[in-house]
Amino acid sequence: MKKELPVAITLILAILYVLANYFTGVAFLDTAKNLLDRWYLIVAAWAVLVGSINLTQIHGRRISGKREGWIFSVWLLICLYGMMFFGIFVAKNASHPGWTFMYNQLIAPMNATVYSTIVFYIGSAAYRAFRVRSPEASVLLVTALIMMLGRVPLGRMLLGGHPALSQMADWILNVPNSAGMRGIQIGACLGGVATALRIALGIERGHLGGTGE
Amino acid sequence: MWEKLANIDRRWLYALMIFVIALALIKPIGLAIVPSADTQKVYDIVEQLPPGSIVWMGMEFSAGGIPELMPAILSMIRQGWKDGRDLRFVCAGMWQMAGDMAEQAFSTVKAEFPDKEYGVDWVNIGYKPGGEVLLQQYQNSIIETAQGVDFYGNDLNTLPLMKEFTSLKQAKLVAIFCTGTPGEKEYIKHVTSPNNIPLIEAAISVSIPECMPLVQAGQIKGLVAGMKGAAEYEVLVGAPGSATAGMDAQSFSHALIIVFMILGNIGYVLTKNKKQAS
Repeated sequence: MKKELPVAITLILAILYVLANYFTGVAFLDTAKNLLDRWYLIVAAWAVLVGSINLTQIHGRRISGKREGWIFSVWLLICLYGMMFFGIFVAKNASHPGWTFMYNQLIAPMNATVYSTIVFYIGSAAYRAFRVRSPEASVLLVTALIMMLGRVPLGRMLLGGHPALSQMADWILNVPNSAGMRGIQIGACLGGVATALRIALGIERGHLGGTGE
Repeated sequence: MWEKLANIDRRWLYALMIFVIALALIKPIGLAIVPSADTQKVYDIVEQLPPGSIVWMGMEFSAGGIPELMPAILSMIRQGWKDGRDLRFVCAGMWQMAGDMAEQAFSTVKAEFPDKEYGVDWVNIGYKPGGEVLLQQYQNSIIETAQGVDFYGNDLNTLPLMKEFTSLKQAKLVAIFCTGTPGEKEYIKHVTSPNNIPLIEAAISVSIPECMPLVQAGQIKGLVAGMKGAAEYEVLVGAPGSATAGMDAQSFSHALIIVFMILGNIGYVLTKNKKQAS
């Protein structure tokens, strides 16, 4: 029953939810869907706590075992619990000056800094990767050149105000890119449907802590 | 020599990049920004809303998206409040920093519009856990789904705007600002397509290719594309800001990357020819 009961619950609730989405206006299904949605919101909130406990366990093991970089694990836990306790017991809401200070002076700049380092990786990667090794690589190189010039005002300035480069960049986005993206997104959706069916029918049981079939 | 050109130490590349970007930010040359058709569409959609309309602003991004998305948010608020248009904004999000982003935006703009009042002209619900299920529940009851409190801990029942705006379905326009998932697809699935509410989006540059099929299908009515789109929006609203200032830096950093690519390819081709000849 240990594996069968969760699988049975998953199957029943999945069928209920799918039917509720396709047959709107049926009172029983609408009520069930609303109830399931509320349970989901509660579980999602608790997931934050579960995530915090999991992080603490992982980094606690790193600290106790003095593994490489354990000092960063100490810092992570200090920041995690420091902000948690400050937010819950001191600030209590987001308009507290201390909370605003931590956001404006710490979180936002550090978050932005991490993303800002990407430009250096892109510059270095573009220098090394965009080489005319083959016809396909040459197409990639030319496309990258057109996109990089067409998506900034410099491209128009280089052509004396003519929008040719931005028009080419728009064509690349609207035609070949859209075609490829549609294929990828349809494939991803079909894969998602297949995975959902496998989970609902109990074929996929990874979320229960065991192996697949 | 050609091998050196094909294998330049990356620290030189990083140093040049810092120098070029810093120079462009300190001494901008003011490259002309011409609004594109996509950004013009977003501007026109907001412009055509009747005065007093309620706009749902989905703050689906974190601090890394600020340079590209915050200028678009500021421009939209300015457009909505200037010339007596009196649009009203309700901000919320599925991302953890949604409330902080809305707070940053409105605290920047409200000094320019001293007659605007929190709770009457805008409300910041902030982040609530639940992802796309949150969007479904916001259509039933916003106050109940938000647990009755806004980002600042105020009781939503006491805010005049929330007495009128009880369900997400009542929004005249949904404007979202996204850096990833959850994002536009969740809004399209649960909110805008089922209820026929127009959706406009400001997205970061790397997300634009993914959004194009949705724009062509009409599921996204208008798209502000990255920092360039935000700069164009600033030009249309008549309030140049950080996006406009950043376009010079972005232009020259692109130019530098192109120079790197050309140098690398020259070195590669000539090295290859030399090897073949020998």
